[in-house]
Amino acid sequence: MSGLIPEETVALVGELLDEPMTSTITAKESQRFALAAGDMNPIYFDESAAREAGYRGIVVPPIFLAWALAPYRPLDELREDGLYTARGKRVALRVKRVMFAAEEWEYLAPVYVGDTMTATVRLESLEEKHGSSGPFVLQTTETRYTNQQGVLVARARGRSIAR
Amino acid sequence: MVKNASRAQLFLFSAATNNPHRIHYDRAYAKSEGHSDLLVHGPLQGAWLHQFVSDWAGPTGRVLALSWQNRGRAFPERDLTFRGRVTEVRGDEVALEVWEEDPTGAVLMPGTARVRLPRRG
Repeated sequence: MSGLIPEETVALVGELLDEPMTSTITAKESQRFALAAGDMNPIYFDESAAREAGYRGIVVPPIFLAWALAPYRPLDELREDGLYTARGKRVALRVKRVMFAAEEWEYLAPVYVGDTMTATVRLESLEEKHGSSGPFVLQTTETRYTNQQGVLVARARGRSIAR
Repeated sequence: MVKNASRAQLFLFSAATNNPHRIHYDRAYAKSEGHSDLLVHGPLQGAWLHQFVSDWAGPTGRVLALSWQNRGRAFPERDLTFRGRVTEVRGDEVALEVWEEDPTGAVLMPGTARVRLPRRG
């Protein structure tokens, strides 16, 4: 019997947490991201520079995938702190707060401007642990990004700590 | 590599990622959550770490994997320094230890990376 993880939440491990999300990435949104991050790498802006570097077209900063596929939301779905209310299946835990802890990305193939990308998010694991400030849950999700050819181009594992 | 985020950059990054979280633009709100100032987005620091590794690998190098832990808070208008060291070389693949430091030298974001470098000649 686990203290912080209810039985019905344990059943979600291995399941997809939401419907797959699909979007076609435009040059404008990709370059807006690179500019806001202050990353002027020419492969994100200039086709000939990208080809010279061995790519077949203008590249999308791979970390941008995390936002490129998120749907826009209406204002009435905003919370007091400005975040949007949670979507999809809720991972209910007996905790007060969830803190983002770590990310692990594997880049398997380039992402190009104009690619139609699909993301699926799966709850990979829930582990109850005991730290110096008491029990907590380490929650791990895995997001897989595939392109219009069905090629897996990136895998991102996100870990958060709930206590 | 040194980064120093202006408040306007935080706003632009929120806009580019459609992130309405108030701790990144509403200083009074950030203080009400116990932060001394606006916070630099964790993913912006992740994007910087990617830039740091990707620039090091060069245009024909490839970043194969990157991971990081968000350990400490980063604030705008302060220098954030990215550093790294090679931990392993296997053929044309190199493993790196990378991290981000605040002006006191405290590590805010430790990470690892795997990079494929272009073959010489």
